[in-house]
Amino acid sequence: MHTGTTNQVANPNTVVWNSPGIWITYLLTTGFMHLILLSMPWFTTSVSWTLTNVLHGVCMYFFLHTIKGTPFETSDQGKYRYSTHWEQIDSGTQFTAARKFFMTTPIVLYILASFYSMYDFTHFVVNTLVLLLSLLPKLPQLHGVRIFGINKY
Amino acid sequence: MSGDFKLEKNGNANGKIFNGLNGHQPDLDKKAFQENFEPTPLHAAILTYLGYAIITVFGFIRDLMRKYHIEKLHAATEDPEMKDFVPLYASFESFYTRNMYNRIQDVFNRPVCSVPGATIDIVERKFSNSGWTSEYTGKVLKNVINLGSYNYLGFAENEGTCTEAAIVTAKKYGAGVCSSRQEIGNQDIHMKLEQTMADYLDVEACIIFGMGYATNSTNIPCLVDKSCLILSDGLNHASLVLGCRLSGATIRVFKHNDMEDLERKLSDGVVYGQPRTHRPWKKILIIVEGVYSMEGSIVNLPGVLALKKKYKAYLYLDEAHSIGALGDHGRGVTEYFGIHASEVDIMMGTFTKSFGAAGGYIAGNRALVEHLRAHSHSACYATSMSPPVCQQILTSLSIISGTEEGRNRIKQLAKNSKTFRQGLKKIGYIVYGNDDSPVVPTMIYLPCKIGAYGREMLQRGFAVVVVGFPATPIVESRVRFCMSAALTDEQIEKALKAAEDVARVLKLDYSADKSLSC
Repeated sequence: MHTGTTNQVANPNTVVWNSPGIWITYLLTTGFMHLILLSMPWFTTSVSWTLTNVLHGVCMYFFLHTIKGTPFETSDQGKYRYSTHWEQIDSGTQFTAARKFFMTTPIVLYILASFYSMYDFTHFVVNTLVLLLSLLPKLPQLHGVRIFGINKY
Repeated sequence: MSGDFKLEKNGNANGKIFNGLNGHQPDLDKKAFQENFEPTPLHAAILTYLGYAIITVFGFIRDLMRKYHIEKLHAATEDPEMKDFVPLYASFESFYTRNMYNRIQDVFNRPVCSVPGATIDIVERKFSNSGWTSEYTGKVLKNVINLGSYNYLGFAENEGTCTEAAIVTAKKYGAGVCSSRQEIGNQDIHMKLEQTMADYLDVEACIIFGMGYATNSTNIPCLVDKSCLILSDGLNHASLVLGCRLSGATIRVFKHNDMEDLERKLSDGVVYGQPRTHRPWKKILIIVEGVYSMEGSIVNLPGVLALKKKYKAYLYLDEAHSIGALGDHGRGVTEYFGIHASEVDIMMGTFTKSFGAAGGYIAGNRALVEHLRAHSHSACYATSMSPPVCQQILTSLSIISGTEEGRNRIKQLAKNSKTFRQGLKKIGYIVYGNDDSPVVPTMIYLPCKIGAYGREMLQRGFAVVVVGFPATPIVESRVRFCMSAALTDEQIEKALKAAEDVARVLKLDYSADKSLSC
């Protein structure tokens, strides 16, 4: 669909999380996944909540912090080819609304998962590890940082 | 015989030259500026994102299958011997093309084999392997009604006065010029066209170029340099963006047609000056288009002119889609608003859309045009316009500005635009843009419906242009209808019936207000 007109931004990935209705879609999808897990008879409530938190965290880590570049060609000469999607949001500006939203959802899920798992120790360890996995890569200090050269190119 | 047409100078009968309005300046505030961008309905937005998410997930799965050779990879791959070298390309960048674009390829890049008039002949193709392989069936779909070509005044024709004159000119001059304007390619027909165009637009002088895109990209660098500020509308065409980048000036983008944003950026530019040194900018150039083809909106020209005068900036108006299509005599967006052309510093336009030719022009005062004649990259290095193309423009110009036929074409275009827009709104489509623009973008939103719409309309005998992400924002995929004076009232009615049928099949009646009458 390269019709000769440019998009308003050279890389549409930078503004996709400000589109109308996308936050609601994100929350609905997470909620739907949770309902599916809840409805499985062999999972207790605690396990399904923890699993929701874990799946959410792992998927978020994969899509936001592992995959680099854009799934389409951009007209900015490859400026974001080695940036993860988190680094591309709002072209790297920190503390924008979309970034705050993504920081908040793992925390809310963590609180809910801790509550529904009755603060059991094993669940606590798993949930906290997943929370760290979700939150640490989003810190502004770790913007563009590749520890031990993992995922650099 | 060629080029012997009289050009009627409008408004000259009473001795006053004022762009066809005979000395009467209409009230600019009274002209209702009706632009319509209905917000996306929430359920459509959610379904659109879910659609893209599902396509992405399936794309990842299929890419995985292709990587482990469960599924055959049809795309080109690098030589396995080169695996130790840095890869030539990142296969993730073609993810979208592989997994989404290719699957609905039959609605894009359709080969056509006739003149793109009111009807067009499309070569039929059959796609297999979910869009990877295609072959010609040998059949040609004849007389498909053409709702996608930029044929605003219907001059895309292969018979008639324009073609006859062009043939005579081709017999006299040949097809090629074989030189640039500054060397030995400056022909009398070019100078005649420039004079004619300048008279038509009622400006001092005009210069023409062989390619419309190149007019922008090779001339903006001649006008501004690195100590100038460019304020460019968010939805400007790729040629304008390229020209701005090539010039080296500082580019600040203001929100589409938003006068408050433009005023803020203008005042910041004047007050703070250049970034580090705070010296004043040498020039501030505002670049806008007359009609934006992806949104169907018309620039708020009175607003921009008021700001330009207040902050003493220059205005570059790209009338690619509006010259010939807007205004009572086809003189473009300046005539539409009742503004005289001398108020706009640089008027640029193309001959590709309304005149059925190719190329572009820049018009303005004599000093500007003489500067461009000497300094333009295109005038120095690019071949000049082909003479039969010049003749096509000359003939169509004389028809538009002088004759009854021209007036009828302009009226038919305005009527078609209004009827089609109203008809679509009554059906319940969300139609973007200004009520008077000949470009009618209608929202589809969901990615699956993009392919479906193109196919359904072709089944019913209509050729349309559908556009999706990433050419548009992710949620606003659309079908862009282009009105033409060549379309008769019956064809418009048939098109509306087909559109209504497809809206019923695909549930495209998103508009909240179905009783819109305008």
